[in-house]
Amino acid sequence: MAIPEEEVERARTQDPCTSNASPSQDHRFEKLRGVRWRINLGILPSSPSSTIDELRRVTADSRRRYAALRRRLLIDPHLPKKGTNSSDLTIDNPLSQNPDSTWGRFFRNAELEKTLDQDLSRLYPEHGSYFQSSGCQGMLRRILLLWCLKHPEIGYRQGMHELLAPLLYVLQVDVQYLTEVRSNYEDQFIDLFDELAFQERDSGAYDFDIKKVLDDSMEEEGDENGPPFGSTKKKKPKRFDELDTETQTAVLLSDAYGAEGELGIVLSDKFMEHDAYTMFDALMYGGSSLGSVSVANFFVYSAPNDSVTGLPPVIEASAALYHLLSLVDASLHSHLVELGVEPQYFALRWLRVLFGREFPLNNLLIVWDEIFSADNSEIERGVEADLGFEFRIISSPRGALVVGMAVSMILYLRSSLLATENATSSLKRLLNFPEDIDLSKVIEKAKSLQTLALEINAHRDLFPKASRKPMRGHSLSVDSISLGSSPVGIVPESYWEEKWRVLNSAEEEQRKKKAIQRPKAVKKSWSERVKQRLSRTESDPSPAEANKNGNKPSIRRSLLDDLSRQLGEKAIDPPEFPNPDTDIERSSTVSDSPSVDYEENNSDKGIGENQTDLPLSVPENESEEKSGTNIFREKKILSGTFQRLWRLGRNLSSEETSETKEAKPIDSEDGKTDSDSTAGNGDGLKNTAQSMLEQIQVIESVLELSSPENMTENGRLTVEEALRELRRLGNMLLSDM
Amino acid sequence: MVLVLALGDLHVPHRAADLPPKFKSMLVPGKIQHIICTGNLCIKEIHDYLKTICPDLHIVRGEFDEDARYPESKTLTIGQFKLGLCHGHQVIPWGDLDSLAMLQRQLDVDILVTGHTHQFTAYKHEGGVVINPGSATGAYSSINQDVNPSFVLMDIDGLRVTIYVYELIDGEVKVDKIEFKKTSTTNSAP
Repeated sequence: MAIPEEEVERARTQDPCTSNASPSQDHRFEKLRGVRWRINLGILPSSPSSTIDELRRVTADSRRRYAALRRRLLIDPHLPKKGTNSSDLTIDNPLSQNPDSTWGRFFRNAELEKTLDQDLSRLYPEHGSYFQSSGCQGMLRRILLLWCLKHPEIGYRQGMHELLAPLLYVLQVDVQYLTEVRSNYEDQFIDLFDELAFQERDSGAYDFDIKKVLDDSMEEEGDENGPPFGSTKKKKPKRFDELDTETQTAVLLSDAYGAEGELGIVLSDKFMEHDAYTMFDALMYGGSSLGSVSVANFFVYSAPNDSVTGLPPVIEASAALYHLLSLVDASLHSHLVELGVEPQYFALRWLRVLFGREFPLNNLLIVWDEIFSADNSEIERGVEADLGFEFRIISSPRGALVVGMAVSMILYLRSSLLATENATSSLKRLLNFPEDIDLSKVIEKAKSLQTLALEINAHRDLFPKASRKPMRGHSLSVDSISLGSSPVGIVPESYWEEKWRVLNSAEEEQRKKKAIQRPKAVKKSWSERVKQRLSRTESDPSPAEANKNGNKPSIRRSLLDDLSRQLGEKAIDPPEFPNPDTDIERSSTVSDSPSVDYEENNSDKGIGENQTDLPLSVPENESEEKSGTNIFREKKILSGTFQRLWRLGRNLSSEETSETKEAKPIDSEDGKTDSDSTAGNGDGLKNTAQSMLEQIQVIESVLELSSPENMTENGRLTVEEALRELRRLGNMLLSDM
Repeated sequence: MVLVLALGDLHVPHRAADLPPKFKSMLVPGKIQHIICTGNLCIKEIHDYLKTICPDLHIVRGEFDEDARYPESKTLTIGQFKLGLCHGHQVIPWGDLDSLAMLQRQLDVDILVTGHTHQFTAYKHEGGVVINPGSATGAYSSINQDVNPSFVLMDIDGLRVTIYVYELIDGEVKVDKIEFKKTSTTNSAP
C-alpha cells in the first residue's frame, strides 16, 4: 500500500503558493504537508513556538481518543459484552429485533459499510494503486464508519469519502518521505550499539571514551537521538546538526524515544488512520464559532435555527457565491441567472467536496493548502452583531477564500460560459473543469476575491434582519402572480413603508459598486428574481439600453446631477413618505391596465416613473410581453431616497404624470410606459433624456471625487439613486421605441 | 460471519396454517445468507416465502412434499464447514443418533441437519454436530402431538459455529446457544 515514487515526488515538490506571510505561520514544516495541515486545521498547536514535544503530545492524545472510539464502536458480536451473562440470549441473538442488541448494531454497521463501499470502490480510480488497495480502503471505511456513528445526526453522505481521501494521501506522502529520509540518513534512526568499537580500551577499566571511538572511526555522533554509534556504513553520515532543518525536523518528529514514545511519532505509519480521522473531524467541524467553515454543514439539509436567510447552509453559500460573482462580474452573473443556472447546481459539488472533484489530486493539494492556511475563525463583528450575517460562509477568511475560489473558477470559464445558450451546456462546462489550468493564477484571483468578500460582509452588518423576510415574501407572491402574462407588480403599502424605514447604506454601497463595475445590461427572467433578492444583486439596464450607451451617458449624467441636487437637500425622514402614497393612489385609480389580480392596493404604474425601487413586476412583465424590452430589476429596500426619486420624477416630467393618468392598456399593459408612449410627445422624451444625462453626470462627479472604495456616505447614496433613476428612465425610453 | 437458517417440517397447510407470527417477525430479509430446509413444507407458497427471506435456499424432499423434484439428500460447504441435509424419514429408527451418525459418515459432513421427528435435538458426536431443528410451525407428528415450534440459526465464522435455537414455548420466544469448534480445516474432496 504505497504511493508510487514519482507521485510522492510530485506531491512534495509542488510547493504551494503559500504567500501567507503572516508571522504566526509555522514555517518549520514547509515540506511536510501532513503536519502543516494538521496545524492549520487546529489539531496541532499552531504557534511557531510550540516545541516538537508539544506536537508529539497532542498527536498522541488525539490518537488515543481515536483508538478508544474505535474500540467502542466497532463491534464484533462474537465477543461477549463485558458483564452480560450468556443467558440473556433473547436480546443478543442475531435475529433479535431489539435495537440494543449487539447484533442489531452490527447489522446497522454492516448496512452503513455497504453504503460506504459503494462510494469507496469508485474513489480516485486514477490513483488506484494507492486508493484502491485493501489496506487503504479498509482504513477509509473504518474512519468514515466511526465518524458517522459518532455523528448520527448527519450520517454518511456521498462526498465525505472524497474529503477524507486527500487527507489520508497527504499523511501517506509524509510517511513515505520519512522512509526516504530514513534510508538516506539511516544512522540517525538506528541505535547501533553492537558496532561500538571497544578496541581502544587502554586501561582495563571500562572507560569508554566516546570521543576516542569517534575519532577513530571518524563517524558522526548522534546527540539526542541516542548514544553514539560507530558505523561502518558506506554512506557519509552527518552530524545531526549538519542535517538540513527539514531532515532534522523529520527526525525529531519520528524519534521513537521522544515525548510519548511511539505514540508520539508525528509521522507514523501505524497511526495514519488515527491522524486521518482527527483531520477529517477537524475539517468537518471546523470551528467552534458560527462563522467558520464546517464542511459538515454543507451536508445538512435544513437550515440551522439561527440562520438569517433560513436556507440550508449549502444553498446559502451558493447564494453567497453568486452574490460575489454579481459584484465582480455582473454580466456573467446575469447571463447565468438568465439561463436558469442556479448556483447550487454546481456549487453543491464544489462546496461539499471542497473542489475535490474539480482538480486532479496534485492541484487539489495546492488548493487545499491555500484554503487551510486561511484562518478559520469568525471575523469580529461590529456592535450590531446580533443581526447576523446573511452569508454565514463569508464570515471567516477561510470561508471567504472558498467562496472566492469558486468565483475565480467561474471567472476562469468566463468566455465559454458566456457563449453557452442553455443551462445544460453551462452546467456541463462548470462541472467539467479543465485539467490543464494555470492554478496559481486562479488562486491569486481567489485571494483577491477573498478580500472583497470579507469586505462585503463587514458592511453587511448594518443590515437589519427584518427587512429580509417581507421582501422575500413579497417577491415570492409577486412571482406567483406574475407568472401570468399580465403585469402585476403591485406593491403593498406596507412594503414600501417597510422599505423606507430600513437603512440601506450598505445596500447602496454595493449597488453602487456593482453599478460602477459593469455597465452592461442583461436580461433577467422572472424566476431569477427571488434568487436575486437573496443574492442581493442589482439589476442592470437592458441590453437595448446598453446599445444606446453612446448617446445615453450624457443624458444620464444630467439626470444624476438633478438627482443629487435633490438628494443633497434633505435627509431621510418619514413624513415625506405619505406623499408618494397619495399620488400612488391617485394614479392607481386612473390607470386600469394591469387589471389582473392585484394583491396590493398600490399600483405599480401608479407610483409613477420614479419607482425605481419597485421590484417591478411591471417592468418584468413588460419584458415578457415585449421580448426585447428591458426590465427593472431593482429589488430592494427603499429608503428615503425613494421619495426623492419619486419627487424628482414628478418634477422632471409633470406632463408625464398627466400622461400616466391617461394610461391605456396596451398589450404590454404597462401604465408607465404606456403613458410615455401615449404621450408620445418629444417633450417628455427630451426631458427624460435630460434627466438621464444629469444622473450620469452626478455619478461621474462623485466618482471623480473618490474611488469606489472610500466614497463617502453621501456620495454613495447619490450614485445609487442616480443609477436607479437612470435605469428607470432608460427603460421608459426603450419602451417608447 | 455467515448466518444460516435451518428449519423444516412446516406441514403447511395440512397440519398447520403458517409460521407463528413471532417467528415471522424475526425472519427479516437481508440478515441471513443461506436457508437449509429439511423438507415437508409442503406447498410451493412456503417455498416462495422462504425464497423471500433469502435467495439461497437448499431443500430436500420430505414424505409429504408436493414438489417431487427436491433431492433426497444434499451436501453443501459453507465457509470451513461441510453441511449435510436430509429429511430423516429415511433413517430408521427415526431420530436415532447412531443411525444418523452413519448417515453423517456416509455424506462425509461436519454438520448434519435432519428433521422428521418435529423435536429439536443437537448432538456433538464424533467430531461433528447432528442437528434437528424441529418443526417451525409446531405441527404434530406421528410420534408427538404436542410440539413446540422451533428453528435453528447457525453462525458460521471460520472454524467456529454458534448454533442459536429459537423455540416458542408458551407464547414466548426462547433462545439458546451452542458453540462448536472444528478441529481441522476442511480439505477439498479428492
